Amino acid sequence: MSYLVLKDLEKRYTKDGNLIVNKMNLSIEKGEFIVFLGPSGCGKTTTIRMISGLEDVSGGEILIEGENILGKKPKDRGVSMIFQSYAVWPHMTVFENIAYPLKLQKLPKAEIKERVHAAAEASDITALLDRYPAQMSGGQRQRVAVARAIVIKPKLFLMDEPLSNLDAKLRVSMRTELKNIHTRENSTSIFVTHDQSEAMSLADRIVVMNKGIIEQIGTPMEVYQDSATKFVASFIGTPPTNFYEVKIEKREDGLYAIATGFEYKVPDRLVPALLPYTNKKVDLGVRPEFVGVSLEKTHSLDHLCESVIQFVEPQGTHAILITDIGGVETKIMTIDHMEIRPNTKVSLFMKNGNVMFFDIETTQRIK
Amino acid sequence: MNRLNLIQKTVMSLILSAMVITVVVPIIFFLSVSFSNDFEMNQFPKNLIPSTSVTVKVAPTEQGLYEIFYNNGEGYRSIITTANPIKLETFFNRQFAVTIPGEQLVEQFSKTKENGPMEFKLKKDMFYNFKQFFTIATKAKSALVNSILVSIYTIIISLTIGSLAGYAMARYNFKFKETINVTLLIVRMFPVVGISIPMAILLINFGLFDTLLGLAILYSIPNIALTAWITSSIFVGINKELEEASFIFGANSFHTFMKITLPLAFPALAASSMYAFLTAWNDTISALILTNQNQTLALVVYKAIGTSSSSIQYAAAGSLILIIPALVFTFIVRKYVNQMWGGVEV
Repeated sequence: MSYLVLKDLEKRYTKDGNLIVNKMNLSIEKGEFIVFLGPSGCGKTTTIRMISGLEDVSGGEILIEGENILGKKPKDRGVSMIFQSYAVWPHMTVFENIAYPLKLQKLPKAEIKERVHAAAEASDITALLDRYPAQMSGGQRQRVAVARAIVIKPKLFLMDEPLSNLDAKLRVSMRTELKNIHTRENSTSIFVTHDQSEAMSLADRIVVMNKGIIEQIGTPMEVYQDSATKFVASFIGTPPTNFYEVKIEKREDGLYAIATGFEYKVPDRLVPALLPYTNKKVDLGVRPEFVGVSLEKTHSLDHLCESVIQFVEPQGTHAILITDIGGVETKIMTIDHMEIRPNTKVSLFMKNGNVMFFDIETTQRIK
Repeated sequence: MNRLNLIQKTVMSLILSAMVITVVVPIIFFLSVSFSNDFEMNQFPKNLIPSTSVTVKVAPTEQGLYEIFYNNGEGYRSIITTANPIKLETFFNRQFAVTIPGEQLVEQFSKTKENGPMEFKLKKDMFYNFKQFFTIATKAKSALVNSILVSIYTIIISLTIGSLAGYAMARYNFKFKETINVTLLIVRMFPVVGISIPMAILLINFGLFDTLLGLAILYSIPNIALTAWITSSIFVGINKELEEASFIFGANSFHTFMKITLPLAFPALAASSMYAFLTAWNDTISALILTNQNQTLALVVYKAIGTSSSSIQYAAAGSLILIIPALVFTFIVRKYVNQMWGGVEV
């Protein structure tokens, strides 16, 4: 039995309104770090608010340790939450903030003090216990929110974009720290974000959501390298995957994907799956790092087309080349050709057949 | 902030000084008047700072009486000739605000029989006018209590109803929300006097005429609207997540409201309570219409000013009694109104 189970979870705000969360099914094991990833409005925040009890559920079930928690008040669900705005109470000192949940449990004073200090130490704010939130930086307030969340020893940690109000540098260090605390406290966490690098670096498993539907559940590597749908392929990765509408044609030496700008021979491993699509249109997706650049003309099987580099965006470790293939803007990530100048004529090829095909109607991966 | 140029500065200071003059000058005048005795009142030009003692010249007459001379700025003048202790006491009391028993005065003055005319410096009772105000306006004492009670009732009524309405407007969506929002302001558009007559009839029917509660209800009507407006804007500004965090961490709705929402809205409540207090404390017209026996202090002072044309210093003393609690309350509350959470060391 999984630790947390969402069964056909549904949410609509008005009676006949749109489903914000549509038949969501998910099971989470104890100790897992799950990240809900998706664009804004995809229902990820709504989902954790339903788990926390702040939002009513329109249909389905939520089980924690096999027990249905629907209808329970938020305080009786054994969850704790870190909010986007931190939600640190400004009229209480840090100590009072952290002690608030314990005081409500009517614990003895000595125990409250001990646990608050332990939590403060875990999140490194022992020196700030007497301060008011207004006298602290965003990062420190974040730590207070974390301390308050861990002090109640929750069954489940919910984090609603907790890092999005921090500056870029702090965000990176805080996320390491959050992961640290998660490991140390041996807790089960759900983390909501729209930032894929955050999701990739934190998650044991990522739940990619779009328009209230789970697009894919998988480890960071799975979602990136083995995207299940066109949405996942386009949402994950910076720069995003390049997509071309291609027509599958059968020729003597195999299947070919024909686009306006290029022809590409389908790798052998994908031939069986793509055969039914012969003479039909599909989406071809290729990640920027899998488009190869060569200054000499190549005529290998992987060859795509000749093209002119329009812009170069140097990134230090790599450079992004922007070009145009058959009217589609294409981004290429390169390490070997960082010195390339705009307006250079290059030859493009597909590296190692790292290409994905997607059904145009269902947007599902063809493999 | 941009620095103001010379012309802007001048205009600003002129406006400010005009405001200060219109507010401060009457207060200073009344302050001065309320500590002056009858003679000082009739002096011209009047001294701004009232004296703390009275100097009189006493000369014995051949009949064994004392002739008392007083210098009101134009040289000594004979003002009374008597040896009757009661007469002396009343005279010094009324005219000089000197509260020394008649026998003592006679005893002091008797020295002149041996030494000839002498000057006497008699200590003035600085709070004579205030005491006198309570003696003249017999209802002043109970009116002061009434005023305090009515103010408290008004604050309680308008804050409970008004802040709940403000919370509802800030947090919930309901039909006609905008209309209700505007309607609340319309309530404030009516001068209280305008609704006093129908109110009087209503209160009579409810048996609340000439009661403090009835008065408080009348004062609360415009203040509920104002409180709702002030608090709703503050409640909107309170991040909903602060309340949600409280729910998550173990509180129920009531506890959350009391421990999280209310303290955060405290500046708004303080401001509203100030308005409620001032409405109740300062009103005379409605009190005039709606009360008979249970008058408020403002009304009593108003009547005192209207009737005691001869001795305006008593009315001035009454006015000060009226002003001081309002000032004190406003200054206490001001601290909270200005308070920014955490920024101010508590």
